[in-house]
Amino acid sequence: MSKAILTDVTKCIGCLKCVSACKQVHNLEMDVPRIWDRNDGLSAENWTSVIRRPGDHYVRKQCRHCLEPACASVCPVGALHKTEIGAVTYDITKCLGCRYCMMACPFGIPRYDWDKTVPHVEKCILCYDRIKTGQQPACTEACPVGATIFGDRDELLEVAHKRIKENPAKYIDKVWGEHEVGGTSVLYLSDIYLDFLTYPTRPGDKPLPKETAAAMESVPFAFVGMGGAMLGLNWIIRRRMKMDKERGNKKESADE
Amino acid sequence: MNRVQNTKLILWFLTGFAAAVALNRYVFGLGVTTNLSDRTPWGFWIGFDVMAGVALAAGGFVTTAIFYIMKREECHPMVKPAVLTAFLGYLAVVAGLLVDLGLPWNIWHMIIYWNPHSPLFEVGWCVMLYTTVLLLEFSPVPLEKFSRYARIRDFLMKFRFPLVLLGIMLSTLHQSSLGTLFLIMRYRLYPLWYSHILPVEFFISAVALGLMMVAFESLASHWLYRREPETHLVAKLCRAAAWVLAIYFVAKMTDITVSGKLGLIFDGKWQSNLFIVEVLVSTIIPAALFFVPKYRGNNKVQWIGSSMVVIGMVLNRIDVGGLAMLDSTASYTPSWMEIAISLGVVSAAVLVFLFAIENFHVWDIRPEDPESLPHTLPSFDYSSRTWLGIPSVASLTKHTLAFVLSFALGMALMSGNRLHAEGIDQITVKPATVVDSLCDTLCINGNRDDQFVEFSHEGHISRIGKDSCRVCHHLSLPGDKLSSCWECHTSMYKEVDFFKHDWHTSASGANLRCDDCHTPGVTRTAQSAKKCTACHPAYKFLADEKNATEKYYIPSYVDAMHKLCVSCHTVEAKKVKDKPNLAQCSTCHRIGTPPELKAGMKWDVTLPHFDNVVLPDVGQAGK
Ligand code: SF4
Ligand code: SF4
Ligand code: SF4
Repeated sequence: MSKAILTDVTKCIGCLKCVSACKQVHNLEMDVPRIWDRNDGLSAENWTSVIRRPGDHYVRKQCRHCLEPACASVCPVGALHKTEIGAVTYDITKCLGCRYCMMACPFGIPRYDWDKTVPHVEKCILCYDRIKTGQQPACTEACPVGATIFGDRDELLEVAHKRIKENPAKYIDKVWGEHEVGGTSVLYLSDIYLDFLTYPTRPGDKPLPKETAAAMESVPFAFVGMGGAMLGLNWIIRRRMKMDKERGNKKESADE
Repeated sequence: MNRVQNTKLILWFLTGFAAAVALNRYVFGLGVTTNLSDRTPWGFWIGFDVMAGVALAAGGFVTTAIFYIMKREECHPMVKPAVLTAFLGYLAVVAGLLVDLGLPWNIWHMIIYWNPHSPLFEVGWCVMLYTTVLLLEFSPVPLEKFSRYARIRDFLMKFRFPLVLLGIMLSTLHQSSLGTLFLIMRYRLYPLWYSHILPVEFFISAVALGLMMVAFESLASHWLYRREPETHLVAKLCRAAAWVLAIYFVAKMTDITVSGKLGLIFDGKWQSNLFIVEVLVSTIIPAALFFVPKYRGNNKVQWIGSSMVVIGMVLNRIDVGGLAMLDSTASYTPSWMEIAISLGVVSAAVLVFLFAIENFHVWDIRPEDPESLPHTLPSFDYSSRTWLGIPSVASLTKHTLAFVLSFALGMALMSGNRLHAEGIDQITVKPATVVDSLCDTLCINGNRDDQFVEFSHEGHISRIGKDSCRVCHHLSLPGDKLSSCWECHTSMYKEVDFFKHDWHTSASGANLRCDDCHTPGVTRTAQSAKKCTACHPAYKFLADEKNATEKYYIPSYVDAMHKLCVSCHTVEAKKVKDKPNLAQCSTCHRIGTPPELKAGMKWDVTLPHFDNVVLPDVGQAGK
């Protein structure tokens, strides 16, 4: 059963309880402020953050736990992994620190321990250890107003659509995460557009791993094809050289 | 002046410098050494060391294809140097990766943990296999020296052709897969560089670059050893490269036109200009030059054209690898340390290359470095009046010196830790501001970022009682009654020297001598000094109540505030039933723009006087 989180932007009061709950549960330390990039609040020590938008809108940012995650598809050692239950987890023992996942994530989620001698990738793991044992994530548990809730993805989608139907004036008629990049396990309902959560070029609805799939599938063909082409070329050239030689020999014998 | 010797000297210098910087990177981490960030996780090392490195090493598979597959016998003199360059190039790529990877000791994980969906996985495997193939292709050359290994050599020579074929097949894969790496980043890469045929473009340009790198290397090494340049042969390479570049250009432009990005080229953004420069340097100008037979047979033009392709294509790889990003807020320029390490890796590779051509039969006639021969003539440096030993020893000494000195220089320039590198250990705390008319609420925001704390005096006093003042105002400056936190905890993140030695010893300050505080004859430590209370009796309550030894270094502002507030809040959180989250960040911290600051407001309300608080009086400074 695929689990998910639904965040209702209209309900969030920006209290940051989810942020501190997450920090507590995952033993994240105090953050050393960066001279760059303070605007989304995520960092190696903050797996989730609350972005304040004009007009007292608070938008929680965290890993979207894509149904077909780009990060997991590019990791050369499979350190990132989409589990059955919905969480995209990180295996600290496999990672080699290439940071390809950070480059590939369309939401810019994974962060890095730049200051550490033994650095790791840091991102929300949907509290995998907790949801495995039937608990809910620390952040949804901590939310005092139920702005961010946890449940089965299908049910949450139903809830979301019901809320829109009941209150069409309040919401934009869109559930963020329903179709984006092939669907995500973190859904948003909102009264403002949430495009700022990703890059200026929208990733669209096509799952990102599909972008590389065609190229990756043609790899064996390119391999064998190149080998074949080279062998063929070699055969033709050799044959031609042999024929030239024979012709030369014949010419020589004719000359005699 | 000896060309070879001087070049080597420079190369040793760069290598030594890079070694020191690399040490810095391993001890302190990536943050100190690089300008990489969460926004730009890949940078110069990936673009230059890895992507450009692999492309530069393409000469190996291109030349072997020309010689073994297409049977162009005249190319024979190029094959061995090209294979050697490729092999060293791949070793340099691996060395670059070992610096760039966050956990380099896990690099072998790709062998046991598989993710065949990942282009990087494929590139990794291909590079591993191809480096092995190159080693096997090249090893007959050094093995030639040792008759002992003749059988191994014969064995390897027998499998020449399949090895070469395998090498070409592997190269095709990973040269193109380096382009596949970026297919998933449509939203990141600037559209002029992003293309669905990126893998094809990468492969074609690698072939062109491979040809030109072989040409460039032949020109450079012949110049270095003062040999007659292989102009005729290089001209042939140039002609081939011109055609490949033309194909590359057509493919690239067709793709850009078809996907409707043509307008982007001339829109005047810096990315567009970068693109124009890149295409001109890497493709248009050299191809145009080399299509003219007169030019491509000219040594000077060969120099210009081949170095243009090399520089242009390297620029292309760096652009794709991290420079040409769409998000203009994510700006990245490599730090000097990143560049130093890359230069060092290249220098080391060149040194090995020079060593190999001097000692093995890479060229048909082995060049000799005059100074490395064991001449009998001693050399004497007249200016310093030192005898430098026989030339070979003298050059060894010089190289070692160059390495050691530059290593030392690198060590001296190390920046130590991240806080220092970013300049944030010098952030001076700015005072809290008063934000309401009653002078009750403070906006505490020592470094003026967007995470501030609102503190209500009234709220705290009403809950905890009048005793609460002294909890926070635990000590005041001499002569002051209620000093604010920032007045002593002056640094945001760094410990503060609270006892100001400078002030206490200066003539305009307290004018004390060391012995006035420190017991004479004993090592001068905090323990051997007088207590503060000896001169400032009013400080007493601190020592009495907390039973603490007085400290000369006090915590940073952040640590002090957190310790003070959180320790109390934690205790209170357990007592007060309805406030389980009292000790959490969000209880105090707010994000966003702080409430309007009432600048210029003063504490003009009369402060309540509490009998049980002994406020420090003017200390009796001096003896
Ligand atoms: S949001 Fe990014 S990090 Fe999270 S699962 Fe999707 S691709 Fe991975
Ligand atoms: S940094 Fe680690 S988790 Fe991310 S792609 Fe590389 S190996 Fe995988
Ligand atoms: S799901 Fe868990 S890891 Fe993710 S933001 Fe919430 S508390 Fe943090």
